[in-house]
Amino acid sequence: MPDTDTPTYRRAVIALNGGSSDERIVRLVVALGTKDVELIAVHVVEIDWTLPLDADIAGRSEEVQQVLDTAEGIAEQRKMRMEPVLLQARDVGAAIVDEATERDADLLVVGLPYRKRFGGEFAIGRTVPYILQNAPCAVWVVREPMSEEPS
Amino acid sequence: MIGGRRSLQGRKPGDKRVRVERPHAPYFRYTGPGQLTAKEAASIPTTPGAKLAHKIRGVVLGRPLASEAEAGERLSKVKALAIFSSDAISSSAYATEEILRAFVLAGAAMAAFTFAIPVSIAIAMLLGVVAFSYRQVCIAYPNGGGSYSVSKANLGRIASLVAASALLIDYNLTVAVSTSSAVEQIVSALPALAPVAVIIGVSVIALMTIANLRGLREAGNIFAVPTYLFLFSAFLMIGLGVFRIVVLGESRIPEEALGAVEDTTQVVGILVLLRAFSSGAVALTGTEAIATGVPAFKPPESRNAATTLMVMAVVLGVLFVGITFLAVNFGAVPPEHPGDKTVIAQVATVVFGADSIGFYLFQAFTALLLFLAANTSFNAFPRLGAVLAIDGFFPRQFSFRGDRLAFSSGIIALGVVAASLVVIFQGSTHALIPLYAVGVFIDFTIAQTGMVRHWWRAQSPGWRGRLAINAVGGIATGIVAIVVTTIKFRDGAYLVLLLIPVLVAIMLFIRREYDDLEGELHVRDDLIAEGPHREQRVVIPVNGINRAVIQAVNFGRTMSPDIRAVYVTENPEEGDILRGRWERQVPGVPLVIVESPYRAVIAPLLAYLDVLDQAWPPDKEAPITIVVLPEFVPRHWWERALYNQTAKRLKAAILGREHTVVADVPYRREH
Repeated sequence: MPDTDTPTYRRAVIALNGGSSDERIVRLVVALGTKDVELIAVHVVEIDWTLPLDADIAGRSEEVQQVLDTAEGIAEQRKMRMEPVLLQARDVGAAIVDEATERDADLLVVGLPYRKRFGGEFAIGRTVPYILQNAPCAVWVVREPMSEEPS
Repeated sequence: MIGGRRSLQGRKPGDKRVRVERPHAPYFRYTGPGQLTAKEAASIPTTPGAKLAHKIRGVVLGRPLASEAEAGERLSKVKALAIFSSDAISSSAYATEEILRAFVLAGAAMAAFTFAIPVSIAIAMLLGVVAFSYRQVCIAYPNGGGSYSVSKANLGRIASLVAASALLIDYNLTVAVSTSSAVEQIVSALPALAPVAVIIGVSVIALMTIANLRGLREAGNIFAVPTYLFLFSAFLMIGLGVFRIVVLGESRIPEEALGAVEDTTQVVGILVLLRAFSSGAVALTGTEAIATGVPAFKPPESRNAATTLMVMAVVLGVLFVGITFLAVNFGAVPPEHPGDKTVIAQVATVVFGADSIGFYLFQAFTALLLFLAANTSFNAFPRLGAVLAIDGFFPRQFSFRGDRLAFSSGIIALGVVAASLVVIFQGSTHALIPLYAVGVFIDFTIAQTGMVRHWWRAQSPGWRGRLAINAVGGIATGIVAIVVTTIKFRDGAYLVLLLIPVLVAIMLFIRREYDDLEGELHVRDDLIAEGPHREQRVVIPVNGINRAVIQAVNFGRTMSPDIRAVYVTENPEEGDILRGRWERQVPGVPLVIVESPYRAVIAPLLAYLDVLDQAWPPDKEAPITIVVLPEFVPRHWWERALYNQTAKRLKAAILGREHTVVADVPYRREH
């Protein structure tokens, strides 16, 4: 990442979780990017061990498709092209990092809901720490405001 | 890739992921549960011919625009004055000429020197009355108060349709008159173009049609520039001209005309004055445009529109009287032959000098403004057509937006009619004018009468004063409408009077058709659509046994157990051979062989269907007969001539037959 006032990137992977933070991070990345930036929206559907990994799950769900279509629509409003990628995996964090690695992304953006474990301490979950530890590129973590998620 | 899912290995041995293909993605976007939005790719045709046509259309008209791309720009007063007033202001380019011509044609050319200016002042006063009246419309109808919507709200269906008809005629004439006049201004500067004047006019209308089909919007600065260029040059011309006449005494009024003032009063007579007034009243055309376009103004919309309307009236009034004053004092005469200079061109010649840059620039600005005035109708006419279509008085396709968000049907209709008018009237503004003013004043009168009713009903604070203003406007424009119609009746006004009731009748007929169909198709709110209750039977006309026939038979079997194939032949032996094969190869589906000694195919088949109907038990509800037609899908355009001809004729014959449905089963050739 060049050390300038405005952060620049040429290929960004945006990890979408189907929650309220999706629109926020897509708008952020689109607003800071230029038209020649490649945007890749990734949504991972976690498949538990009782089902085969290639079970026909994500492709049949309209809600899952809508997560990526909404992101693509926001990018198109700003005349930016976005490639939506739908994945099924056992581990969401690993799938996102692998996709970013394979596509040689120089930025990975991930949203983080503000949640508390049993009403106590803030819970960061498993995915974001995994991404922070393993992603080969820069990572932006956009945490939601406290008021948006019930504790 | 298996079933649209591709397995991928991650960096670590246990990290596998599956990429899921999304076949809908290139064409659709999910916007909610069970809700898809089509992307541009979904609108692109798939057949080679249609693809080519789509590409050509893309080059001529531009790429399709999504509905959300519609601009919602609001106009400032300065911009709105230019955009909405071009029609009204441009009429100053030919209104003076029409007044002078009225005197000349009456054999009272000398009287023009005396009476043309008072007539123009009288018209300017009428313009003031109309402007004050429409100012009230701006206030009362912030959503746009065209005479159609005002009369629809206050005077009922027939009055509103009369207003709509008059408006439709006006919009066509605005294009024809403004274009013809613009070409006349060009020919005044370049007389060599006189022989091709009509071709220029038609070409410009064609270009305007294409530009508007491409989605040309009036809001751009490019449309404001010509109006202000014209206004600047016209006021400069008037200023210089008045200075030369008043200060330098350069008036060219003949001595005999000045001496004959008292005599002419008696000679001229009221009829000639009324004719001159009726001709010059064309200056008022386009005055209502601002009242129609109130929602396009920046807030406060009504007040800004009302202010702009008054400014427009003052500007137009000064221009019109000023140009008439110069024309009279510089002795301008209306052109007699194509290629002669127009009156405004003669004035410009005197003020700026013949063949001077000033003259050519002024003529160019005038022509540009007139073209712009013509273009205003390309926005207004399709919009009115769309409103009428939504109200059920126009064919529904007038309300559909084309690829570029323009009301394509209305634009094409206007282009065709206006171009035809230019050809029929040979691009003569003078010949078109008598048709023009009649509709305008009928519109004014209906709109003002509607406003009187509006204030009477509303009785809001200050309603009495407002009602009085509109009543004065209504009476004044009503009288002028009668005068103009009477005076111009033989010159062509009768055409408008004939056309308006015809258009009203057509629109009422269309509405009745739509109402009838809607009544027939209406489904009660309490009706629950349950499963089908009528029996079905399948009839498959066959020409032998082949893959297409087998496919059609299998399709027919899925719809009803009551199925039969019908083979019409003139040769009984062929029938016997087919029956042998059929019973062996298509068991369970009876084959009916119809011998046709007169070699007809369609008629015996239809007769067979009739017989089937008659044989149905009369106490049971008639069944639905599904005629399944095996069809080849041609691979090339020329194959269309070789196949499916009988099927096409049969389809045409069955279309509209009671209780009958036709199902095509296409067979695609693989090689």
